[in-house]
Amino acid sequence: MSLQERQPVGVTEDGLDYDALADLLGDRVIGREHHLNAEGFVVRPTDVEETLELLRDEAGFDHLSCLTAQEYEDRYESIYHLTKYDDRTQELSVVVPADPEDPVSESAAGVYETANWHEREAYDLVGVDYDDHPDLRRILLPETWQGHPLANDYHQDRPQLVPFQEHKNPLEDDHHDAESDTMFLNIGPHHPATHGVLHLKTTLDGEQVADVDPDIGYLHRCEEQMAQQGTYRHQIMPYPDRWDYASAGLLNEWAYARVAEDLNDIEVPEYAQVIRTMGAELCRIAAHMLAVGTFALDIYGDFTAIFMYAMRDREKVQNILEDLTGQRMMFNYFRLGGVVWDLPEPREEFFEQTRDFLDDLPETLEEYHDLITNNEIFQKRVIDTGVLDPEDAKSYGCTGPVARASGIDYDLRRDDPYGYYDELDWDVITENGGDNYSRFLVRMQEVEQSARIIEQCVDLLEDWPEDERTIQSNVPRTLKPEPDTETYRAVEGAKGELGIYVRSDGTDKPGRFKIRSPCFSNLSALESMSEGEYVPDLVATLGSLDVILGEVDR
Amino acid sequence: MFAPLQAEPTLLPETIGRFLFGSEMAIWQEMIAAFLAAFVVANVMLAQAGVAGPWAKRKITAAFTDRIAVNRHGPAGLLIIPAAAVQLMAKELIIPDGVDRPAYDLAPILLAFSALIGFAVIPMGSIFGINLQIADPESGVAYVFAAASIATLALTMAGYASNNKYSLMGGLRAIAQNIAYEIPLIVTGASVIIFTGTLQTSEIVAQQAEPLVTIAGVSIPSWFAFVNPFAFVLFMVANLAEVGRNPFDIPEAPTEIVAGYMTEYSSIYFVLFYMGEFIHIFLGGAIVTTLFLGGPSGPVLPGFVWFVIKIWAIFLFTQWARSAVPRVRIDQLIEIGWKGMLVLSFANLILTAVIVGVML
Repeated sequence: MSLQERQPVGVTEDGLDYDALADLLGDRVIGREHHLNAEGFVVRPTDVEETLELLRDEAGFDHLSCLTAQEYEDRYESIYHLTKYDDRTQELSVVVPADPEDPVSESAAGVYETANWHEREAYDLVGVDYDDHPDLRRILLPETWQGHPLANDYHQDRPQLVPFQEHKNPLEDDHHDAESDTMFLNIGPHHPATHGVLHLKTTLDGEQVADVDPDIGYLHRCEEQMAQQGTYRHQIMPYPDRWDYASAGLLNEWAYARVAEDLNDIEVPEYAQVIRTMGAELCRIAAHMLAVGTFALDIYGDFTAIFMYAMRDREKVQNILEDLTGQRMMFNYFRLGGVVWDLPEPREEFFEQTRDFLDDLPETLEEYHDLITNNEIFQKRVIDTGVLDPEDAKSYGCTGPVARASGIDYDLRRDDPYGYYDELDWDVITENGGDNYSRFLVRMQEVEQSARIIEQCVDLLEDWPEDERTIQSNVPRTLKPEPDTETYRAVEGAKGELGIYVRSDGTDKPGRFKIRSPCFSNLSALESMSEGEYVPDLVATLGSLDVILGEVDR
Repeated sequence: MFAPLQAEPTLLPETIGRFLFGSEMAIWQEMIAAFLAAFVVANVMLAQAGVAGPWAKRKITAAFTDRIAVNRHGPAGLLIIPAAAVQLMAKELIIPDGVDRPAYDLAPILLAFSALIGFAVIPMGSIFGINLQIADPESGVAYVFAAASIATLALTMAGYASNNKYSLMGGLRAIAQNIAYEIPLIVTGASVIIFTGTLQTSEIVAQQAEPLVTIAGVSIPSWFAFVNPFAFVLFMVANLAEVGRNPFDIPEAPTEIVAGYMTEYSSIYFVLFYMGEFIHIFLGGAIVTTLFLGGPSGPVLPGFVWFVIKIWAIFLFTQWARSAVPRVRIDQLIEIGWKGMLVLSFANLILTAVIVGVML
């Protein structure tokens, strides 16, 4: 095979050539749609696997970023949002309509591992039945749930009456096998290591993990449905703070702000972009500090020095954020077209406080490195455990620090620029180990990079001419995008690619609001990372994935 | 070999007996005196463990982690001790279904008492002219190691009887860990015995009071920690494993197996476990003090005060390790134990034997 042939189909010098891609797929494409972010190819529900395989192997779409399912009046629809780890700007949607009476659609789990969980969610919430899916169970709602909440004929008010019989111990049959010499163990939902309410159904062979099946959904709060009932202009923005609530609020808000501004053609003033960038990176530092602290907690086993140090330093960021936004966790600071208010007065004090924090940071990180990174026992515990190969990482749709620790150079802040990032000088951190240690190192170094970004933002804001400090552009009171406009946009959240798909239905509320949570995809890789390892490594691996269950379950 | 520094000190039961019954005692009078002596020593140790558990541990950990910890009840939060006692004992005692009853109930009692009986032969020094040692048999060191080992049995019983998988794993880990680390512990202890030529604790302590060297008028006693620092370090490490503190808190490992063998225990049983663990740390400290730190000897202050200072120093060390050192994994722990500690401890033993045989 020559190099020429290896060139993915459809890649031209000025972007993606959708016609070439359509030619590649031939008559599998039965229609074309235009979404704001990408072209959508409509394919038959029986052609999904072939289509995606072709697109992955021939056209280089190695990242199934998200899967949206929804029900229209006349059909069900699954949308596979494809993109590439090498070039995030090349996007393609594969739209799969399914019969309204019998919504069966071929599963993509054979092509992308990440489709497994995403299709389970689509089945659970919308009710699309994925043919040939390896394990089509409910994922967010209890197994006894009746109906699919995001389907059109779902009755919100109908009580969930489930016979007592259905609630009998679901583990009884399959796990008490006298012949087997493995032990079944429930880790969670209440367990010191699960960072929230996560339930790991673990099968142990001695102390080694033979199988692990994460059971999620304990913190499901119907965030998508709530967003669908809010108006674009003001009512949705408070919700993102509640997804990744470990101080990553502004990063989440930006995900919504980006998609809504894209949908409604709203310009954001440059000054507001700089404030957003600074706030978002402060949030990233706070989130990574917590991740480092809790990871150390998993390894050390107690609320030890390093956990408290991390909390102490996170507290400084929290104070800055509190001054900026008026809140400590649920910021609600972004608005469509800008931010809600300018920097706190007196500005000099705010800049000084931020600078103090940034000046102390190198010393603080040095302390962390002395205490943990260079600790031999720590290294013994985390090096070469929980290894995630780059290929697996891509297949599971891992993003953020998890993917970057496996050597995947993928960061939306650089690859799909938004905000003020492309004007600033910073680096994307990657490590090649793919193990727990690499993930830890990536986070530690990303804190430094975030500090660099904040420093440049502070410099910019300090010198910003007083009469040009526009914090919000002019946005209509009511936003009603054209009916059937669809878009999928993502930002780099604290844990990875945080994307939102919105379809407008002509009203001032979204017709479908789908959240692509980075933790959701990252957590699905846990199984492949921890099989054959010891229980302590399973715990360490879970800690290094840094999942926030509020974001996994939404 | 060495002449004792002072005339044979009177043991505590005898002191009490003379005070109550005069110098001529019948058997039953001796028994009462011995019982009272044990009661006094046990309470002295329980008082320390009771302080250490609810108060000192929190204060120490807080100091290591830049916090303040208990400060609301009484001066420096000291009244947290009765408050914690009332709170813990007022809790409901939950006995889960399917536990193995006598074993489940006996385990916490056994743990606390096995640690306490070890103190019978520890020379704690004297205060107000009263020597606090209960007994001084010729097999003292062998006895104290035996008493300390019983704790493993308690942990295993608790782990097995609780009818809980986490407890079972904790129990199994406790056995694996204690076997792997008790051998190095005792073998290293034996290297001290080679020096002293006796198992009698008072004799071991007495020999360490001899000056080793005198530098600028300050004479350094021949504590075995100075004579054989290598053995001391080995012993301290093995002792950390023996009392189950970081980096060797594998049997409990909160983030992995919830609380290990303690998972299913509540109320007073939990208190017994908690207390038993602290007494065990102090017993470990007492053994280290006796074998390596010259027991109760020290200038100016009474011997007993020195003894308390030394065991608290060791307690402080375990808490320091707990706050700053990560936990090793179970397989790494076993590896360190069998491949590292065991080899080193035997090397130390043989080397000591050669040196003692050739030089002394």
